[in-house]
Amino acid sequence: MMNSSKPILRVQDVTKRFGGLVALRKVSLDIFGGEKVAIIGPNGSGKTTLFNVINGVYIPDEGRIFYEDNDITHKPPNERARMGIARAFQIPRPFPGATVRENVAIGALFGRFGHKISLEEALRIADEKLKLVGLYDKRDELAAKLTGPERKMLEFARALAMSPKLLLLDEIMAGMPPGKVDQIVDLIKEISEKEGIAVAVMVEHVIRAVIRYAERVYVLDRGEIVLSGSVDEVMRSPKLREIYLGTRFREV
Amino acid sequence: MGLREVLIKHLTLIILIVIYVILWLLREVFPEYSQLIITLLYYITIAQAYNIFLGMTGYVDFGYVSYFGLGLYGMAVAITLSSSSNMSEYIAILLGILLALALANTVAGVVGAIALRLRGAYFAIATIGLSQALRYLIEGAKIWGGAEGVIIASDLRKIFGEERFSYATITLPDTGIFILTVISGLVMYVVRNSRLGYGLLAIREDEDVARVMGISTTLYKFIAFLISASLTSLVGSMWALKITAIYPPESFNIAFSVEFIVIVMLGGAGTVLGPLLGGSLYALSKYYLGTILPGLQLTIFSVLLLVIVLVFRQGIVGELRSLLYRYSFIREVIR
Repeated sequence: MMNSSKPILRVQDVTKRFGGLVALRKVSLDIFGGEKVAIIGPNGSGKTTLFNVINGVYIPDEGRIFYEDNDITHKPPNERARMGIARAFQIPRPFPGATVRENVAIGALFGRFGHKISLEEALRIADEKLKLVGLYDKRDELAAKLTGPERKMLEFARALAMSPKLLLLDEIMAGMPPGKVDQIVDLIKEISEKEGIAVAVMVEHVIRAVIRYAERVYVLDRGEIVLSGSVDEVMRSPKLREIYLGTRFREV
Repeated sequence: MGLREVLIKHLTLIILIVIYVILWLLREVFPEYSQLIITLLYYITIAQAYNIFLGMTGYVDFGYVSYFGLGLYGMAVAITLSSSSNMSEYIAILLGILLALALANTVAGVVGAIALRLRGAYFAIATIGLSQALRYLIEGAKIWGGAEGVIIASDLRKIFGEERFSYATITLPDTGIFILTVISGLVMYVVRNSRLGYGLLAIREDEDVARVMGISTTLYKFIAFLISASLTSLVGSMWALKITAIYPPESFNIAFSVEFIVIVMLGGAGTVLGPLLGGSLYALSKYYLGTILPGLQLTIFSVLLLVIVLVFRQGIVGELRSLLYRYSFIREVIR
């Protein structure tokens, strides 16, 4: 375990509104170095907005975001990426007209060590990450030709190529066949433990997977953190059943 | 890496340069086609220069002719100045090149710094007025001779001497254009296979994701824009020596921008070989259509643009590459 005592990411009282809709209301959370956190919540609870605020796609209306003790609230996404925040989108967005290999190489070229990495090295890193996620055989295909699950794995590889310290995975397991979900969970555990990457995964449906990999859980509901703690605490909480599982996952 | 590997790795570039050199040599063999070949090289070069911006970023610039026009004026103004202050021919040409670059980069710098913050269609709209604005600025404020234009034939005679006038208006600019053809091909090839090229590729494919992945998108677009404008202004500076009379309406005609959008799209936006094919095809068909169906060539090209956009979105090189994608050798070469 490479958990450090200081949070790598601190989200402090963040509020984000879209017109009259409050997408996030006074959300605070900490993620420690090397930690594996799950952020769960039903559809529309503000999970993706939270990621967008963390990586700079949105600027919050209120509150602050600290990354390694720096206030990054107003930093643009490209600077945050170079500081070590990488993200895989809920709906995968590979560069369709680039090859699979080029997609991942771009991650290496512009990620945390991007400025030190030559094109040859970036392509080598791309091959390595593609082997990891099982897409090496398709490296010369255009990304547009990949299937849905393959695109998810490509995004994952691309994010890994950026050598992040904090990896944000938005619904990476959704729509994946069950066998693949276990494989992804193992992969997340492996890279997190081997390279000390803090991983935050957004999950809507695959609760079983959360139990397997996460050390801590935050529950987001209608833009607010309503529950947080260790997996055991959260999963056993009657409140969770009430607000989340109670209505949607009675049988789980 | 052995010589063979290096050759194979850079085969695309080698093919490109070899074809350029063949075109140049054909000019010696068939002097009657000499000006057609130079016109061909002129189209290929500006298309390649534009390709570095339009093809690599996907941003359409309707003001693109402005950088060519500023190149024309840069050289013309330098020749006028040199003639009146009795400078040598080398200094005059060098001054013209530098002035062309300075003017184009100043305008491109201002336009880029403002308009490149805009996305796709908004950028295109923002650039539409640029060439017209420059034209009316020159005419209205009577800069550089205003609507009267700048006529440099007599100045060139004075600087180069009567006996070297044809050198100044044919040999020198033709050679200059050939050199620029090679340079623009080389620059495109190097950019495409560099960090800058990968960044631009990401921007073209999905600019939001490119930013999330750490790319300074505005800066990258800006660099590509300046490279592109610089090369085009250099072609303009050489072209000024050929036409020897520069007028605002011809120098800043938006139809010229559209023409080059068609060429880049026809050849295959963002491909190294695209401008060669697109430029040659366009220049040849324009030349022959102009004699067979004068006045109708633009109508035909507008239909052509429609067909490209609707059916062959990747252009000749792009479509060919897709078609033959399973052959790894061809995939490596046709790009």
